[in-house]
Amino acid sequence: MNSTRRKFLQGVGGALALPLLESTALAKSDVAPLRFLVVGNPLGMHPEHFFPKDLGREFQISPTLKSLDWLKDRISILSHTDHGMVNGHGREVSFLNGILPESSAAYAEKNLSIDQLISRHTAGRVRFSAVNAAVEHGIRMSWNANGVEIKPFTDPQKLFDHLFLNLTTEQKDRRRKLLERNGSILDAVSGQLSSLRNKSSSDDRNRLDHYETSVRQLEGSFADRKLWIDRVKPKFDISEHFADFDVTIENRYNAIFDMIAYSFQTDLTRVATVAFPNELNYTDVDGVNRSYHGCTHNGRREDLVSELVAIESFQIQQLSRCLKKLDSVKEPNSNGTLLDNTVVLFGSGMGYGGTHSNRNLPIMVAGGGFKHMGRVDTRNSSGKNMPLCNLFVSVLQRFGIERDKFNTSTGVFDFHA
Amino acid sequence: MHSDHPIRRCFVASFLILVASQTAFADQSLLKAHCVKCHSGDKPKAGFDIKSLGGETNKGNHELWTSSIDYVKSGEMPPAKNSRLSESERQRLIRFFEANIRQYERKASARKQRTPRRLNNRELINSVADVLLLKDVGTHQPMANLLGDSLQDGFDTSGATLGLSEYHLEQYINSVRMVVDATILSGPKPVSRRYKISSDGIFMPRRDQNTQQRDLTRRNADSIDFLDTRRRAYFGKFKNVPETGIYRINMRAMAVDRGVYDSDKTGIHDLDPIQLRIYLGDRIRNVDLPDDKPITIKLVEWLARGTRLEMTNPTDGLRLRGNGNFKFQYAIAGEYILETQPERYKKIAAAIKPTNRRVQQPSSWQHWRGYWQGPRPRLYNAEIEGPLFESWPPERQVALLGESPTLKNVAAILQPIAQRAWRRNVDESELAPIVRLVNSRAELLRESVGDKQSDDFGKSVEIEALKEGLVAILVSPSFLLINPNDAEPADVFATKLSFFLGSTIPDAKLRNAARRGELDSFDSVRAEIKRRFKTDDCKEFLGKFPYSWLQLDRINFMAPDPDRFRLYDRKRISEDMVAEVLHFFRYAIENNRPVTEMLTANYSFLNADLAKVYGVDNVAQDSTLRKYTFADGRRGGILGMGAFLTLTADSLGTSPIHRAIYVMENLLGIHPTPPPADVKIEEPDVRQAKTIKEILAAHTADKTCAACHERIDPYGYAFENFGPMGEWRDTYPAATSIGKSGKAAAHNRKQTGIPVDASSKFLTGASYKDIVEFRKLMQTNANRDRFVRCFITKLLTYANGEQPDNYTEVEKIVAKSAEHDYQIIETIAAIVDSPLFRDQ
Repeated sequence: MNSTRRKFLQGVGGALALPLLESTALAKSDVAPLRFLVVGNPLGMHPEHFFPKDLGREFQISPTLKSLDWLKDRISILSHTDHGMVNGHGREVSFLNGILPESSAAYAEKNLSIDQLISRHTAGRVRFSAVNAAVEHGIRMSWNANGVEIKPFTDPQKLFDHLFLNLTTEQKDRRRKLLERNGSILDAVSGQLSSLRNKSSSDDRNRLDHYETSVRQLEGSFADRKLWIDRVKPKFDISEHFADFDVTIENRYNAIFDMIAYSFQTDLTRVATVAFPNELNYTDVDGVNRSYHGCTHNGRREDLVSELVAIESFQIQQLSRCLKKLDSVKEPNSNGTLLDNTVVLFGSGMGYGGTHSNRNLPIMVAGGGFKHMGRVDTRNSSGKNMPLCNLFVSVLQRFGIERDKFNTSTGVFDFHA
Repeated sequence: MHSDHPIRRCFVASFLILVASQTAFADQSLLKAHCVKCHSGDKPKAGFDIKSLGGETNKGNHELWTSSIDYVKSGEMPPAKNSRLSESERQRLIRFFEANIRQYERKASARKQRTPRRLNNRELINSVADVLLLKDVGTHQPMANLLGDSLQDGFDTSGATLGLSEYHLEQYINSVRMVVDATILSGPKPVSRRYKISSDGIFMPRRDQNTQQRDLTRRNADSIDFLDTRRRAYFGKFKNVPETGIYRINMRAMAVDRGVYDSDKTGIHDLDPIQLRIYLGDRIRNVDLPDDKPITIKLVEWLARGTRLEMTNPTDGLRLRGNGNFKFQYAIAGEYILETQPERYKKIAAAIKPTNRRVQQPSSWQHWRGYWQGPRPRLYNAEIEGPLFESWPPERQVALLGESPTLKNVAAILQPIAQRAWRRNVDESELAPIVRLVNSRAELLRESVGDKQSDDFGKSVEIEALKEGLVAILVSPSFLLINPNDAEPADVFATKLSFFLGSTIPDAKLRNAARRGELDSFDSVRAEIKRRFKTDDCKEFLGKFPYSWLQLDRINFMAPDPDRFRLYDRKRISEDMVAEVLHFFRYAIENNRPVTEMLTANYSFLNADLAKVYGVDNVAQDSTLRKYTFADGRRGGILGMGAFLTLTADSLGTSPIHRAIYVMENLLGIHPTPPPADVKIEEPDVRQAKTIKEILAAHTADKTCAACHERIDPYGYAFENFGPMGEWRDTYPAATSIGKSGKAAAHNRKQTGIPVDASSKFLTGASYKDIVEFRKLMQTNANRDRFVRCFITKLLTYANGEQPDNYTEVEKIVAKSAEHDYQIIETIAAIVDSPLFRDQ
């Protein structure tokens, strides 16, 4: 575990030792970079409305996915995948890793999620190794290799400042000094660790290790950020989304997705996640009066089901709008668009909230240069569901990460089948 | 695999031989005669094969042994319907289990490792304040950016869940620095100013907007009124605190129009005071205002630079109309005029011009914006003066660093602070790296200014540099980790006790008492706990423990449907329900009630809103919680509380299974096996006219389900008379197809629904016909012991950050508690005095 981390840090150091360009992105190479966008929710999708009825490339778009009709020939909708979880809430946090936090101790990288794993691979080459966003609440989707969840930005304005606000010379200077100061604090406190280690038995070193790893990683991050301080951030404007008197959740998601699309375009980051939380009030959406969670437990009442489908369709519409944007940007150094160079994953770690089922997860993949397959039933010949981690292995390989296994995977999902 | 009988016998026989080496043969024949028939073979009942107990208790099967003993003790196993086990045989079987478990635990506890855990955010915030000798960390919300803590079964003290990452560490450095910056002030004393604010300098922007594009404040000639409860007022001249220090704040305010509108319409109780809420950053002051007679509110507060000063109308009313947004309440103004001044109403109605979009009824809220006479605070003006200091440097700084701190004695200055923070004695040599940090910081600061150094400047450099040392102390592993291996046993005990009851570092008095051995006995621990509960030191425990234990964080995870249960949504009943639980728990502690009473007491604490939910009508019409005794045997104690009944229900219906699991896991300490992963759960269908019992008939029809559900379901059916928000019901609402608007519901609900059947039968053979009888069954010896054991386990989990895994020692605490008639203080003392607390 430790040696991987060390290698990772060395990797970062190596990349940073390259001559520094005064541009937004470090590596303006002639190969188009690949990005990763994950959009998720914690309650799954109403299956009858999400999954198209017929299999294969010639399928009729489903009601929930309707806004993606324009992309119909370039997506894959996977049914019958799962993480082998029992029913109930709380397991959706395993969406991007297949492992629950409480059982993560058995894995060298804990419940590290696939977005974080990929962002490690792209770190150092871009200003932000990953951008995690949601409105008001997160859904515990991203996890680092210490088993700690990554909290998303939940306020679009703060995300904007983080991504696009350029500092004045004075602010930059202050920030650089602060990074140095904080670095000295780390030096002063980490000395205490060795004496604590001597006093403790081998078993409890584990949590001292967490402290030490955190110190090392933070030092790495400080060094990294110092180098980025002087580089100019791209200019962007999201004020149009906040012009109205009442700012709706649609405005806020539009702002978030626009920022992410632009961050991909300007190579500010290559990994982004967006979450649609349970706690959010969706009553801005037409036809919705109740809480999101309340709608999933609809007792099959048509009026409640249609409220739920309205919320779910809203999520897809936001995604679709973003994908259209990505598809409208031509990618330099390639003959495709930005979307062709972005692996897009939509889904949830819960199958469907109404039954508390964590089987048959709603999964949709777009872009990324995959040969898309339309509607796919992933069950094998004996009728067993496919571990979702099989799909993650093919995504990792697409990013050039040499792995043939990821957590609970049993193989690789083959897009060309 | 071995359905063939002779082979199965053979397996069983070999198991019994292994056991034979330790116990009398008679005990095994008991197992053989009463357990093996069901718990063996291809499909052992409830998935439990008696062979899994192995020859003796070990790490892998310890839980099976302890759950088995609970089955036998409670009389649930063997099931009454086909049991031939006599009482004396049962006792013998229990002793057999106990002996085995004890033998394993004795060995295991000798090997037990004590593991460190990180402070959670609450503990961190309290501890930082206490190390720096502050009342709180400051009003500028320095800790607002900390990453949230994950909960484990509702507890925020779980060592395994409290992660640590570079994000945490960076936030700690930043947050602690913000606190230190607002505590230690270097440089010249800031000049005090006086701000006079008249009513036209007070603004109330729309929610979520800081700019005042359009002035929407409701103004009178000399004052402003608070209408919409979500909007916050601020002073144009004093939005944020300009300099850290003490501020004297005077505001002139009063309450107007109490009782003009019917309280059933406004949702504001006539007997509640009308208040003005003042936000000083995250510090909140609620001030009761007299009716129609202005008073001057006087506050004297230490405020940190950047603190926002804001005022609101804090009532939980004014949300009953429409979807709860304030504008819909204006309709009440129209109704009031119609009723009291019909002529005037006619005139106003006649003057309404239809808009081109659609015609609005005269009763519609749009027409009555200007006529509002709801109860509300009125604010005239304010005067603020500050920053003021009783002396310079400020007292809090002198207390921390001394009169004139210099860099000559950094280690001596920091030593007492480090000892507080690290909860142990600290040698000056251990501080060497931090002393170096302080010195090099001073050097850097001097360099940055060059030659123009004055004496005053030199002084402030030294103070600035010392601040860096404070930050380092407060992000050190010895501060951030509660580490039982990092200190003497006495200090470890003092630390544990202090974090258990106060969620903060121990004070010197407690550390000294522990060091002198004054807390080594049950009696001394009891006296100390009693003393502490009389002070303010246990606030955190009294609030956080019951909240975590009963998992109240989940109360609105699936809130009752806002259309069907409007009151719950519109009056934020969940807050009253949580308050009821906390009040009840505090009462038990303050009056040293028996633990057992908490489950089935015949009383609880109600206010007017809860009384409405519970169907009680003889309570005062205000928001204060008061003790209420239920005469009908249906409510009282945790089992009758809305908080429990709501958080275990769906939004439109109830689930006896959810309630049963909750009661078993959180109140009786029973952990039923989860259903197999591939079980297909039918989605509930509220459109059909079936009762939950009929729907769940599958549980008893299907043998795999029945094995567990025969045991589980009786713990839940008793609550069927309580609806989704905990309200009493005799019948289920009639099955309806409700239209889009949800309006048909009201009409259809009047039809008679299906009567509720809340009867059931336990595996023990005991049966009940309703909640009243169920509550009596919860008071049997077996269930009383289960509840006490569960309570003890939960307290230990909260205190230790992990579940106790020593059955024998827990039983000793139960016995000690019983010796003292289960009094709650003595029970807590027995826990603290147990090796499970002391040695963990």
